[in-house]
Amino acid sequence: MLAIEVRSLGKSFGKRRACWDLSFEIARGEVFGLLGPNGAGKTTTLRMLAGLYAPDQGSGTVAGLDLVTGGAALRRKVGLLTESPGFYGRLGARENLLFFAGLYGVSKRDALLRAARLLERFALASHADRPFAELSRGMKQKLAIARALIHEPEVILLDEPTVGLDPEATREVRTLIEELAREQRTLVLCTHHLAEVERLCSRAAFVAGRLIGVHKIEHAQQGRVRIELAAAHAAAALRAAELGPLRLAEQGKVLLLTPRCEIPEAVAALVAVGARIVAVSPDRDPLEDAYLQLLAEARALGLAGDEPGAVL
Amino acid sequence: MKGALLIVRKELLELRRSPVLLLSMTSLPATVVVVPVLLLAWLVRAAPTQALDWLQDLYKVPASSPTAALVAVLAKNWLPMFLVLPIFLPILLAAQSIGGERERRTLEPLLATPVSTLEIIIGKSVAALVPALAITWIASALFCAGVDAAVWTRLHAFPLPDGPWLFATLVLSPLLSLFGNALAVVVSARIVDPRAAQNVAATTVVPLLGLLVIQLAGGISLGPGFYLGFALGALVADVALIALAVRLFDREKLLTRWR
Repeated sequence: MLAIEVRSLGKSFGKRRACWDLSFEIARGEVFGLLGPNGAGKTTTLRMLAGLYAPDQGSGTVAGLDLVTGGAALRRKVGLLTESPGFYGRLGARENLLFFAGLYGVSKRDALLRAARLLERFALASHADRPFAELSRGMKQKLAIARALIHEPEVILLDEPTVGLDPEATREVRTLIEELAREQRTLVLCTHHLAEVERLCSRAAFVAGRLIGVHKIEHAQQGRVRIELAAAHAAAALRAAELGPLRLAEQGKVLLLTPRCEIPEAVAALVAVGARIVAVSPDRDPLEDAYLQLLAEARALGLAGDEPGAVL
Repeated sequence: MKGALLIVRKELLELRRSPVLLLSMTSLPATVVVVPVLLLAWLVRAAPTQALDWLQDLYKVPASSPTAALVAVLAKNWLPMFLVLPIFLPILLAAQSIGGERERRTLEPLLATPVSTLEIIIGKSVAALVPALAITWIASALFCAGVDAAVWTRLHAFPLPDGPWLFATLVLSPLLSLFGNALAVVVSARIVDPRAAQNVAATTVVPLLGLLVIQLAGGISLGPGFYLGFALGALVADVALIALAVRLFDREKLLTRWR
């Protein structure tokens, strides 16, 4: 069953096209990444999915509700983590959560229970009554994630969840997102961090104004090495060396191997079965390759740049 | 309207925790009350009779005694200041309403909730009107009580509040509060910087202050006819500004306007 479905979606602001021709589907329980350079229209896309912007091209549904006519009902089913936490500085963490819970229509009793549970879960319980302005950047971001969950939405949209955070806070926030992903929630993760997408998402859309492509993520295996061969080699001969799980890519010229032994011994064994090795390196992030390749193609076509949107 | 109620509660809670804003809201009313009452008390005790006669003559106030004339002059000439308060005070709060949310980056999370546009406008407006009207009414009551106390020994009567004063406080003040608030919401929806919005909205009190100065100089005499017309004008302006505020409050434009 689909949680999000968009067809040829687009949005312009005056003469400036923020994004166009976006079509993708996201299944319920899927964690979907939204990748692209600065000004690629990722935040605009997220805001359309959150019911903040009405698309002026195409159509789409979120949680079964139309993006144009869904209005308040759609916003009730979506949890949005905005790029900046955005809370009231003089109100405490709990007061802020209760205020937003009320606006989402959560009853006072449920709001109190959920706020307490989320503050506990995000290690903010001891700071519940501290004014928001006094919280650290990481705490603020965790509180913003708690707000996105307070009304138990069907779809959670996360806009740059780790931007501007120090490494410790980044790790905390990533761990939280990982936990949400494990809970089979429908998540859309909009970020620059490829590692985040690779670790958390099952698929990622590359956006550079328009949709460049949707990439299915093959989760990298730990300890895997990439061995470049001088010429294509038969897999059977390489398997005979019994080095560990292996896969040939790029017309047999690249060997992806998770060796059972040390790398020098594996290289020696491969040479022994006739392989001519050009280079050995840790297996690179396949998402990064795909991303950079698609981005280069998009730039060649004049579709991606660092300035937001294209002018009509 | 549950959303509006939540917004009112949140705004009042924030106001309660903002001593600087509270101080700026109460300093003008305190001055408007304390300075003329102290001046009156001094004049009643120490001013020569000729000076009081001169004042009565200048403002052509029919009164039974120089002290009664002094009270009538003060009540008549100082009343416009109590009409400035209900315009000015909600502007201090309401000009922050949208611009402040934008500045604190709370506008996007707020608009991402199911709360309706009307609920946001009502919530923000009531939260600005309630303290503004409360302060105006308290200031007005303290002024009347101060004037009555200052002249009690001479008149053995309570000259204030009189008819125009009651009309201004109970009818004009709410209408002008509504005007100040709606104007601030309109300006705040179009101007991003809350301080600039506050300054633009605050310029609306200038004509009223001008009338006050001209009247103090003896150039005009604002009577019941003026205040009745003023009330009708304020009512028409309120309806027009509220309609404009609702029309201008476009959720999408609020997020995309940055100048």
